[in-house]
Amino acid sequence: MNANIPVLFRSYQSHETHSGCKIWEAARATSAAPSFFKSIEIGNKQPVIDGGLGCNNPSKLLLKEAHVVFPTQPIGCLVSIGTGQAEVISIKPSGFFQQILPTDVIDALKAISTDCEATHEDMLLLFANSSNIYFRINVEQGMQDIRLTAWEKMVNVEARGHRDRKKRPGVDFFAKAISAGLTN
Amino acid sequence: MLGRLRMDIDTAIDAYNNLVQQVFSDPKQWPSDGRFKATKLKEVFQSVVRNASPTGDAEEPLLEVGNASICRT
Repeated sequence: MNANIPVLFRSYQSHETHSGCKIWEAARATSAAPSFFKSIEIGNKQPVIDGGLGCNNPSKLLLKEAHVVFPTQPIGCLVSIGTGQAEVISIKPSGFFQQILPTDVIDALKAISTDCEATHEDMLLLFANSSNIYFRINVEQGMQDIRLTAWEKMVNVEARGHRDRKKRPGVDFFAKAISAGLTN
Repeated sequence: MLGRLRMDIDTAIDAYNNLVQQVFSDPKQWPSDGRFKATKLKEVFQSVVRNASPTGDAEEPLLEVGNASICRT
């Protein structure tokens, strides 16, 4: 398994389409976060895992793909969605965290966080002169105490979002992104 | 869910809540190679696809052929 080679699952024809992949297999592969679910073998029997390790911010991959699929068209809108994990990871790993995780794992997590933010900085630079094209949405506060497995809280968060969606502060931002996507 | 299965947002949120509950409420008794059951995850995904797909086929391929104007996921 090589975490450095990302696998793209496409719903459209491409010269590298993963032949014969089913919808559930693609979903299962992208959910295979190590220590949560085992990896899955699809097609050529190469095991695949969730992109959280090694390819956490796929913005550059997306730009490359867009260029291949739409070679003559400029980027109209790019929305990048973070999970807020960078904030969690950047918290000083002291005490309990340090004790349960080996140093090399902490280093790997830091590298992912740094890579994620570095890619975001690169995107900001790339689109610095074109407004309303690149949008990065990340959770900055409030996710620190929700672990990946805390599904009960997750359901609560989702349910709350469900009810109050029209009132949430992010709506203006999304509206801007959507209208940018429509007009560009 | 939105791009390939073209679920509406409310349906997608409901399906997501439902699948999260089903998968994470049932961890492995003897955790090895992941704490949760990949088979359970597979079944839940298949059921989501079966319910959303116009053909009701849980094994529907990811690739959509033909229509070039459809959402590319």
